[in-house]
Amino acid sequence: MTEDALTLDKVRSMAEEIGMTRLTEAHLQQLLRATNGARARRALLPFADLTPADEPAHVLMLARED
Amino acid sequence: MTDLAYLSVADAGELLRTKQLSPVEYASALIARIERHDNKFNAFLRFAPEIALADARRAEAEIMGGAWRGPFHGVPYGLKDIVDYAGLPTTAHSKILQENVAVGDAVVTQKLRAAGAVFMGKMSTHEFAIGGPSFDLPWPPARNPWNRDHFCGGSSSGSGVATAAGFLPAAIGTDTGGSVRNPASMCGVVGMKPTYGVVSRRGVLPLAFSLDHVGALTRTVRDNALMLDLIAGHDALDPGSANRATGGYTAALSRGVEGVRIGVIRHFYTRDIRADAEMIAAIEAALKLLADLGAEIREIETAPLAAYAACNRTIMMSEAFAVHEKWMRECPQDYGTLARERLMGGAFIRAADYVNATRVRRKMAADFHAHFRDVDVVVTASSMDPACRIDDAKAVESTYPRQARAPFNVTGSPALSMPAGFSKAGLPLALQIAGAPFTEALVYRVAHAYEQATAWTQKHPALE
Repeated sequence: MTEDALTLDKVRSMAEEIGMTRLTEAHLQQLLRATNGARARRALLPFADLTPADEPAHVLMLARED
Repeated sequence: MTDLAYLSVADAGELLRTKQLSPVEYASALIARIERHDNKFNAFLRFAPEIALADARRAEAEIMGGAWRGPFHGVPYGLKDIVDYAGLPTTAHSKILQENVAVGDAVVTQKLRAAGAVFMGKMSTHEFAIGGPSFDLPWPPARNPWNRDHFCGGSSSGSGVATAAGFLPAAIGTDTGGSVRNPASMCGVVGMKPTYGVVSRRGVLPLAFSLDHVGALTRTVRDNALMLDLIAGHDALDPGSANRATGGYTAALSRGVEGVRIGVIRHFYTRDIRADAEMIAAIEAALKLLADLGAEIREIETAPLAAYAACNRTIMMSEAFAVHEKWMRECPQDYGTLARERLMGGAFIRAADYVNATRVRRKMAADFHAHFRDVDVVVTASSMDPACRIDDAKAVESTYPRQARAPFNVTGSPALSMPAGFSKAGLPLALQIAGAPFTEALVYRVAHAYEQATAWTQKHPALE
């Protein structure tokens, strides 16, 4: 999936949508860098190799009733 | 009497059991050393000499009365300050939790208390086990005892510094992307991240639930195995706890490595990332020594470091932000700069990306563990470089990707960092030994054989 390049205004809007309304301009610059970093990491993950049946590493496991 | 500062847990335990050493004398000697030197190294966030002396007096009365509890009875220890000790704040080295007084003990604390160990205090960490070394927090960052101008690693910083500096023979740390093994590497001590689920995480402030491990830092391999014997065990109230037998980690220590098949993951430190030349030389020398001791060395290939790192960070950031979202809304200004930016990385990771990262994780773990049909343990780098200067922010930042520890958080495998020599500048070099799930005893056995054939763990920093 391709995404638009993030801007400071865009990341401010995204932050406000999730209730992060107390960020200063410096904090928003940090959020922009951090979000770009997370997106770059996603590109390194081999998601394309996953098949529909590949399970997550942890799934709910209920204790057996003895 | 041996220098009490560098007494091993094993030797101290025997001297205490046979009443040749008083717990009060032992604790008092370490208290005096900490009071004299820790103003230069900041290993302790909260030093607790009154509690230590009370614990030591209790231990002394019990031992003198014939009620010896085991190898940790009367032995001092510290807790990374994300681990609960009832009645004391668990601050995570953060302004946000300065007043967060623990109502009970973490499970590891309960076990150490029950063993009669002597609590010396809470150890410095990186803020919330992720943001450091930081100079904008209520407490200063810990510094490397081999050279206080250098980084000591993290996030279990104080635990590594205190063991290396002879303040404590053992300390508890935690490891989500390498945080026990990083300070072990930088400070020249032994740090073990056990298999996921071997040690209860209950009472430990989470960084990322599915990647968090509790482990110990010690000066010797035997001491580390003794500590794992004590703190391991199933905990029905920790949903990640493995319901299987633990212990016996010292039983095979002296069996040597004759016939042990060691897989070398050389591409981590030569191709994926080119490690510092002195670090590569130290690891290659260790492999040659292990071969001389009778191990079979063969090279193996696994996924690239970058893929493991991306998987680790995507999961870590997602889970960590779930913990921190409330504070990011209410008081983002109360974080230090480093922790805030690192934690913000999880704010906008899509749900599908998080789930897919956990699906990739399962495949990576299965692929990695398949190698243990052909080898018994693996050896690779821990850190790619010796400790950089603590005031070089760019170099410090580069220590986070320039490591090969995160793969074993992704796979959940046991992984141990131990000293492998010293750089020309006098800073510790390290290697890492990892194993199949629940094979800690074999990892310790290989580490012990290497330790016995070298003298690295016998060398200590001059603190003056």
